[in-house]
Amino acid sequence: MKSSTTLDPVLKNAPKAKRRRSFSKRDRLTLGIFIGIPTFLHVALVWFPAAATIYLSFTYWTGIHIGDIQWAGLANYENIFFNTPIFWDALRVNVVWLIWFGAIATPLGILLAYQIDREIRGSKFYQAAYYLPVVLSLAVIGVIWNFLLRPDGLVNGLLGLEISEAVSFFGDDRYNIWVILTMASWRHIGYIMLLYLAGLKAVDASLREAASIDGATEWQSFRKVVFPTMKPVNVIVIVITIIESLRAFDLIYIIYGSSGGLPILGVLVFQNIAGEGASMKGAAYAVILFLLSIVPIIAYLRAQFKEDMK
Amino acid sequence: MLNKITGHEVDRRLLLKGAAAGGLGIAGATMLAGCAPAASGPMSFGARTVDESPTQQLEALVAAYTAKSGNEVAYNATESNAFQNNLSQYLQGTPDDCFQWMAGYRMQFFAEQGLLEDVSAVWDDIGSQYSDSYKIASTGLDGKQYFVPQSWYPWGLHFRKSMMEEIGLAATDVYNWDDMLGALKELKGQGLIGLAAADKGGWEAMGTFDILNARINGYQFHVDLLAGREKWTDDRVKEVFRHWEMLLPYQNTNVLDLEWDGAMQLLLQKQSGFFMMGSWFGGNFKEQSQEDYDDLMIIPFPEINADHGRDTVDAPLDGFCVAANGGNASVGKDFIKFAGDMEGVQAMLDTGVPMTSANNGQDKSSYDAFQVAQQAVMDEAKYITQFLDRDTRPDFAGPIIGPAFQSWFKDPSSTNDILESLQSQWDALAPL
Repeated sequence: MKSSTTLDPVLKNAPKAKRRRSFSKRDRLTLGIFIGIPTFLHVALVWFPAAATIYLSFTYWTGIHIGDIQWAGLANYENIFFNTPIFWDALRVNVVWLIWFGAIATPLGILLAYQIDREIRGSKFYQAAYYLPVVLSLAVIGVIWNFLLRPDGLVNGLLGLEISEAVSFFGDDRYNIWVILTMASWRHIGYIMLLYLAGLKAVDASLREAASIDGATEWQSFRKVVFPTMKPVNVIVIVITIIESLRAFDLIYIIYGSSGGLPILGVLVFQNIAGEGASMKGAAYAVILFLLSIVPIIAYLRAQFKEDMK
Repeated sequence: MLNKITGHEVDRRLLLKGAAAGGLGIAGATMLAGCAPAASGPMSFGARTVDESPTQQLEALVAAYTAKSGNEVAYNATESNAFQNNLSQYLQGTPDDCFQWMAGYRMQFFAEQGLLEDVSAVWDDIGSQYSDSYKIASTGLDGKQYFVPQSWYPWGLHFRKSMMEEIGLAATDVYNWDDMLGALKELKGQGLIGLAAADKGGWEAMGTFDILNARINGYQFHVDLLAGREKWTDDRVKEVFRHWEMLLPYQNTNVLDLEWDGAMQLLLQKQSGFFMMGSWFGGNFKEQSQEDYDDLMIIPFPEINADHGRDTVDAPLDGFCVAANGGNASVGKDFIKFAGDMEGVQAMLDTGVPMTSANNGQDKSSYDAFQVAQQAVMDEAKYITQFLDRDTRPDFAGPIIGPAFQSWFKDPSSTNDILESLQSQWDALAPL
């Protein structure tokens, strides 16, 4: 998509009658380099590994000698679906994560963006405060929160609890997932807020004025006027929400390592492919994760573009 | 964190013979090493730890080697989990010439793949300083050696002498299961945790499983189970979990929120009476204070089934390998020879960091009380296992058993379901 937009001006400038524009040798060389190198890198670094992963997910392999690859058919998938209870646990966590992000964190980010855009008092301060966590990577956020919530961490220390009596923030199934989701949202909300804020700044103020002159309430003007005008940003926000929820890995890895304390698909991929335990079950997990993320996104984007066509 | 492999039987007579021969061999071997045409050039060493005490030891070893050979050694340290996770890629890329690793299955696998250098020649030079059991543990499936041992440590019940004295509990008299339950009850009565436990890392509880299985069902069943020759759904395995469940009331409740170091803190802070772990954590006690270290003691896990007594112990062996794809394998071999030779071992011992070397040349009369106790735990055992995740397939131990034990802690009543699932996951593993 990108490359065609960059080429457009060139093609448009060419007179219609003269279909073939003659490129000089120099032009061709430049074009070749400018298109060829990114295409090569893209194919080599994205498409090749993706295709290889898909292929390997149908094989048995320890990941060392190419010659040892053995065709396994659907065995890895069968194993995952029928023999691996942790897969379903992980899927459940990912789905809860997605619902939480979709229903709570993302709307909250939008709300904050809207409030800050209204320039309520101290909005600059709020903006900075909410945006701050976005500067940090999820790994760093994991380290910070781990430091606060571990059994011998700050929070349990302030509560005066010994290690043995400490609140089990990460170990107890009753709350570990919510603790993790709070940590993840801490960053996600700021991220969405920033994206949305940028979008809101671009909304023509006269639209809102017109709405309020027509007697629309605040909610009506947001829902009927602002929200629809923000469509491109909305698409991005939704896609980001899906991707962020499904690719979750770093936060969990920092807190639990690859031990499966809170199973999640991203960690299962890693656990089955890294280290000495390498098996192509990891590749199969990766393919499942890929399908899970790509299918809803493609479906959503298709629906959006279809609407645009109308 | 790190974990362990292939069970092999140690013949104690051989061990003793080896010890005697080793004493004689050292002087000769050191002299020989001096005469051999030394390999030269810079090399790099990959340490599998970033912890204070072991780093001190390894740096002393590297410094002593450089002083002796004049070869520059670049010291690269990686946190042990990260090192382990990347090992495959590391060995296929541009690895350090010599690196720290573990004996048994985990070494044999990489030797099979041609990623390790054959160091049989090194064993010809320094082999006399090691007992046969260590040579067996250093040997690949093709009968050649690929590993040189550094140190060993037993898994057992650790406690603090001063604490037991205060309570009036004769911990060293704990011999069998009833003694143990009695002691745990006593500790609980005092408002203490009987047994400090952790399993957030997914590997800590494996040590408890190993020893319970070996005590109840014996060494042979344990080894066969881990090799897939026995079934996880066997009633004998259920018996293991039935015993384990008896320990739960005496454990801290946040097992899944603690990693090994959290459980160690419970012992360090005298909140818990016993701690089932590998003795390597003695170094961490020493980092706290000499006093804490001197207070530390170990006894073998108690007898459960009189048929098997206390005849098995998990005693993992750590050491060094030379990478096949390293830049300078000949210097790497020269280094590994130095590391295995008493001269290199002495350099590590001289740091004062407690270490039970696999080298027979270490003067056992200079062992401190804790090391003497570790030796006693070893001596009582007839069979040595490495550790669950060194004794079974890596694609089974980490990704499958680890989470299974964790879910058992969440719901001990689900033993049967968990065991059935373990067996079906074993059956679904990729063929080797």
